[in-house]
Amino acid sequence: MSDLDDFKATYFDECSELMNELEEQFAAIENGERDADRLNAVFRAIHSIKGGAGAFGFSGLVGFAHAYETLLDYVRDGRVEMTDDVVTLCIRANDIVADHINAAQTGEELAADYGAEEKQRFDAIARGQRGDEDEWSGEIIEEFDIEFTPVRVELAVEEEPEAVVEAVAEAEADTFEAPPMPAVPGHWEVRFTPFRQLYSRANDPLLLFRELGALGEINVKAILTDVPALSDFEPFGVYCSWEISLFAPDLTEAAIREVFEFVDGDCRIEVVPLGSGVAPAAKSVAAPAPVAAAPVVAPKPADLLALTEDEVAAAPAASIAAPARAAEEGAGLSFADLASEIVAAAPPKVVAAPVPKPAAPKPPAAEAGEEGGNRSVGVQSIRVDLDKVDRVVNMVSELVITQSMLTQQMDENLRARYTELVRGLEVLAQTTRGLQDSVMAIRAQPVKSVFSRMPRLVRELATKTNKKIKLETIGENTEIDKTVIEQLSDPLTHMIRNSADHGIEDPEKRKARGKSEIGTIRLSAEQAGGNILIIVEDDGNGINRERVLQLARDKGLVAPDITPTDEQIDQLIFAPGFSTAEAVSDISGRGVGMDVVLSNIKKIGGSVHVRSWTGKGSRVTLRLPLTLAVLDVMLVKVGESPYVVPLSSIVETMQCSGATFERVPSGGQVLQVRGEYVQVIDVAQRFAMHSTKAADERFVVLCESEGSQKVALVVDDIIGQQQVVIKSLEENFEQVEGIAGGTILGDGNVALIVDVQGLRTTHIHQNAA
Amino acid sequence: MTLRILTVDDSRTILAMLHHTLSNAGFEVLQAEDGKQGLDVLMSHDVDVVITDINMPVMDGIEFIKNVRASGQYQSLPILILTTETSQDKRDQGKAAGGTGWIVKPFDPEKLISVINRVVH
Repeated sequence: MSDLDDFKATYFDECSELMNELEEQFAAIENGERDADRLNAVFRAIHSIKGGAGAFGFSGLVGFAHAYETLLDYVRDGRVEMTDDVVTLCIRANDIVADHINAAQTGEELAADYGAEEKQRFDAIARGQRGDEDEWSGEIIEEFDIEFTPVRVELAVEEEPEAVVEAVAEAEADTFEAPPMPAVPGHWEVRFTPFRQLYSRANDPLLLFRELGALGEINVKAILTDVPALSDFEPFGVYCSWEISLFAPDLTEAAIREVFEFVDGDCRIEVVPLGSGVAPAAKSVAAPAPVAAAPVVAPKPADLLALTEDEVAAAPAASIAAPARAAEEGAGLSFADLASEIVAAAPPKVVAAPVPKPAAPKPPAAEAGEEGGNRSVGVQSIRVDLDKVDRVVNMVSELVITQSMLTQQMDENLRARYTELVRGLEVLAQTTRGLQDSVMAIRAQPVKSVFSRMPRLVRELATKTNKKIKLETIGENTEIDKTVIEQLSDPLTHMIRNSADHGIEDPEKRKARGKSEIGTIRLSAEQAGGNILIIVEDDGNGINRERVLQLARDKGLVAPDITPTDEQIDQLIFAPGFSTAEAVSDISGRGVGMDVVLSNIKKIGGSVHVRSWTGKGSRVTLRLPLTLAVLDVMLVKVGESPYVVPLSSIVETMQCSGATFERVPSGGQVLQVRGEYVQVIDVAQRFAMHSTKAADERFVVLCESEGSQKVALVVDDIIGQQQVVIKSLEENFEQVEGIAGGTILGDGNVALIVDVQGLRTTHIHQNAA
Repeated sequence: MTLRILTVDDSRTILAMLHHTLSNAGFEVLQAEDGKQGLDVLMSHDVDVVITDINMPVMDGIEFIKNVRASGQYQSLPILILTTETSQDKRDQGKAAGGTGWIVKPFDPEKLISVINRVVH
């Protein structure tokens, strides 16, 4: 059973890859790139989805995919033109396929007629292109349905003996698919004249005789009358034909012809009833063999000529007997047993082939062949369970941390005394870094996998809002840790929706403003130091600051007496429950939008920043860590508790005694740094803790948050730099404003990770409250 | 003597199912994800039977079969076409290219084995 589950898991994995591929292909197809390669790729994707679905008996999916595939087949061979209408239909069809896949995965039932309308449209389009409607879909689909015996891959499971036997019996009945013809009991003669191509396709008369032998008693006679005079003899000519007499009660012509299924058209077959139900007399007499007449004809005609029905029948009889016997006994039959019997039974009967085989130089089987037949060849990449990679990543992260702890232990004293050890530790540090980078690279993926879903979102949004929008993507090949990518899809969707809904103006309005009617949303990704920047820009309206501020005041997010800067107003759109859409639209949703973006991004240790230019557009920047695994931090102390501040946001540190603080009228403090005034946040005060030190013994950690906004955090002590593994606070506790997560230090203590950006913006709310 | 079967399909699901069924039946299984890879495998391995899909990227099954047959070494290698196409034309194309027989997906394990036994000694 678990095998089947494994296959299903593989299948669903594959499906999600194929659906991504479809998205990607259709994004290009929509842009007018409708070359054969793309259409073929689309066809193959649907074809593969259908193929697997058939194996698991997902009949709804198969039915739909089949109709879709047929249309695609027509499209790729040019019978149906890929017009924009067809593209739209296909995109809709992709959704339906995805829904079917989801339903199959979750086990839920879709309505029986789900997608029926689209299916009809496929049929209609395809039918429009062809004259002969008779063999069209109805029939094919029906035939397909018949083949839907779910594959019993779990046959080796012993607990279901009855089912197994039944399956075997069924399979036997199935093997020859004898149509319900009136059974003519008796005796048949088969005249079999192979053409040369029969051999060139690696079919072999001996095997056919073996199969005939499985049907009943047979007698094979070689006809050598066509063998030419030696002077006209072609070495590779085909001159031999055979007459086979066959006897079995209830043997039908169809069953005999079935044996020749694969060689239909490659030979001449006559099947003649010989009448009465009398068994052929000659049982074991060798066929009269004019061997001497043709000693040079074919390499080993003699072997064939001398074949008796016993010999011919022996091999297959053994193989057929096994399942039959088991079926009779009703015994639990292991599939593996069955198969090995079949295989074991066959080889002993191997008689030299009657065909002049161009001696296939068979090198001795590769020695490696003994290792279990499980080799995959021609591999440039391997698939590894993500769990395994995650385990390695985690262990490497812990290793990195241990290493940095060790390094920290080295004080001057030790350094002087143990130079060799120090050198060793330095090499270890370097190697560990290298190891970490390599391991992270394993899990990195191009952001393309997320970006590729966006063109179609934009298209849908444009249709819904009656706007003209084009999407540009830049830097799709930028790689980020897979775990980060997985968290990216929702925020990006929200951001793009927001741009399309609130940012981009109606075509008329754009025209009136002297802009192009078509609005542009630009989605880009780039690496900046230890971060990845994902930027969503639009050339729309920009943020309506008056309204944002008004709403924020109405909702009590900003106190009436505070006048935030433009930039601060812009960031308000990320405040929970904030929505500027006057009427709740079904696109940007009900005020759950940008705050979701913020919380998702914070969850993965990133930050969000928005900039807006009135009437010109806005830009939302997501700054994401390259990896979620480790974070370079500065360890500080506030009261008795350790806190960590992400190193990437720290500009400088200084002692309070040397810093110039000034009070501002609102009661807050600012720090003057080289002529610039910076907002000061006393972390102890902010988190309601008691500072343990005198004011001028404390330290200032000057940080830069999004948009180059500086903020000065006042802490009690600075302990040092190190790397930490981020643990989610939300998963283990709950979301805390101003805290991005937690981590466990080398000594077992928990330290909280300060969210610099969050501290800065929540400070406004606090002041407001 | 263990028969060695090369399976060529771009679908991992199908490859996995073939592998399971065939190796349980005592065959040794080699895998390739397209015709090109399939040819590479044939160059370096001695194979008794080939089972190949038709619709594949890079090199499709038809091309693959033609290429195999074009090399003198493999004229008597049985090649089974694995196909969901119930329509005759794919099968015919496969056969014209040199395919020995075919297997219709989805396949029953027993039927798969029986078809293989039909084309090997």
